[in-house]
Amino acid sequence: MLFFRSEDQVQAWCQGRGVTPRPLVRMAQLWEMAVAWYATRLEPSARRPGPDEIRRIFAGVGLNDAFWDPQADEFA
Amino acid sequence: MDFDTQVKLTVYHHFASTARAPQVAHVAAQLGCSLEDVRQAYARLRANRVLLLEPDGCTIRMAPPFSGVPTQHRVEVGPQTYFANCAWDALGVPAALHREAVVHSRCGQSGAPLRLHVGTTGPESSTWLFHCLVPAAQWWVDLVFT
Repeated sequence: MLFFRSEDQVQAWCQGRGVTPRPLVRMAQLWEMAVAWYATRLEPSARRPGPDEIRRIFAGVGLNDAFWDPQADEFA
Repeated sequence: MDFDTQVKLTVYHHFASTARAPQVAHVAAQLGCSLEDVRQAYARLRANRVLLLEPDGCTIRMAPPFSGVPTQHRVEVGPQTYFANCAWDALGVPAALHREAVVHSRCGQSGAPLRLHVGTTGPESSTWLFHCLVPAAQWWVDLVFT
């Protein structure tokens, strides 16, 4: 899970490793993911989100691809 | 509050206040329990994907978003410098602490430096991107690689 300066840099990185480029995430989306995952992490009630909640978190920031599904058969 | 939650919170609050992983002896002293009690709790927390441990079973490698080892993702919060496990966790540190931060990282391809101010409501405008190679269904197969 890395930062890249541009889409071209992602393409070059993937090409150099012979891997398929994955969905790109903008910084504002990444912040929403970070808040959803970690904003309550220091609280007693904090817990890992379950599969359905994970899907809702990603869908809420516009990431609906099966790549983000924690139980996707094609990736399991 | 159950014992594992107490251990987890002790670990997390130590990371938050010191930017480093606690020793098992520190956690045991804080909770008034044995070292073995803490080790067993660590193993359960690992099984529940809360902590990632080194092979010794008592050294914390990751308590996401915090890293127990130096990484390329540094997060400055006031006088403290935290290490994050990945780009996502680099934003996770200020999100968890509810504090302003400056994230220092680099482009995965070119190595160009990233310096990103993150306020309590989000990062400054940026055209940088986040890319994750490993699908969500496989993240915990090898979390260090992920």
